[in-house]
Amino acid sequence: MIFREVEGRDLIARARRKDVEAFNLLVSRWEKRVFNYLLRLVRDREDALDLSQETFLKAYRNLAKLDDPERFGPWLFRIAHNEAYSLFRKRRPEDELPAESAPAPARFRMYPAELSVAVEGALSRLSAEQREAVILKVYEGFKFEEMAEALDCPVSTVKSRLYTALDLLKEALAPMPSRGVQ
Amino acid sequence: MSCSPFDLKDYYFGELGEAECARVRTHVESCRVCSEELDRLRLTEAALHSLPEEEPPRRIAFAPDKVAGLRWWQTWWNSAPRLGFASAALLAAAILVHALVRPVVVAPRPAAAPAAIEARTIEARIGEEAARRADAAVRAVIAQSEARQAQRTAELVEAARKDMEFQRRADRVAYEETLTLLQKRYNGLLVASADYGGRP
Repeated sequence: MIFREVEGRDLIARARRKDVEAFNLLVSRWEKRVFNYLLRLVRDREDALDLSQETFLKAYRNLAKLDDPERFGPWLFRIAHNEAYSLFRKRRPEDELPAESAPAPARFRMYPAELSVAVEGALSRLSAEQREAVILKVYEGFKFEEMAEALDCPVSTVKSRLYTALDLLKEALAPMPSRGVQ
Repeated sequence: MSCSPFDLKDYYFGELGEAECARVRTHVESCRVCSEELDRLRLTEAALHSLPEEEPPRRIAFAPDKVAGLRWWQTWWNSAPRLGFASAALLAAAILVHALVRPVVVAPRPAAAPAAIEARTIEARIGEEAARRADAAVRAVIAQSEARQAQRTAELVEAARKDMEFQRRADRVAYEETLTLLQKRYNGLLVASADYGGRP
């Protein structure tokens, strides 16, 4: 793990010197996480892929502005977050954050298993901010400080969003244990 | 509502210090409510992890191309109007070389305002060339007009000739018919005269 971190710092340093090969290695390490974060947030594969590409392109162009290479992860997810919310604003000019009250349309139902569908439905009923907090904490394993850095808001706000979302999810997924989750 | 000394969710997500964790652990072992709350958090997280991670449909990779940090002159060189810039530069270079290398005819003219003289010469040449081209264009137009006129005249003459020929034939037919009729009448009169014993 330590070796990997050192290598990551080296890759970032090389990428900052416009070494495209080094940056491509960084991309290969992070693209799956960034793609899945965006996929769960915007719930469309093509949008998620486009946003991922845009995220990495902007990361490459702005890598010199990254003060601390140790913070590459939160910094990268902050770019991804900004890209996703730019898309939301484009799609919803009234600047309303997307909170679903109804189940997601059929085209977003990507997973066949009943539990996955239920989880996906429960996530889709969260607001984008709550869903994003769950994704970063539960799926990406970010610390609260890293989440606050990525989302550009105080830790207290991050915790509030996450815990509200967890309460809603607990309620929505309560029957699930009897149907297969052990 | 949890009765834990610290937030159970903070504990669950590992956001507490070691001492705080120890206190929460001790509390949970003896508190059924908090223990069940932790179980619900575990179940919720387990359910959330039933969503599989997906592989990106296409791999993302960048080539060291125009988007990857080219110098300003590389960006300029790769820009669309580079051929235009290059052509303009070549033309300017050619004009400069021509101006420097061309043998200059030294004339006993006053050195004052050579640029004005050059400009007048160029203007005169341009005028001559323009007049020559205008004259050629007018001649071409006139030639075309004359050719069209001659063709039109020929067509009219031919049409008139055909009309005259047709009229001539019609007149001839009418004349022959009239002559035949008169001949028949004359013969009839001749026969009648013979019947009455007279001479014509």
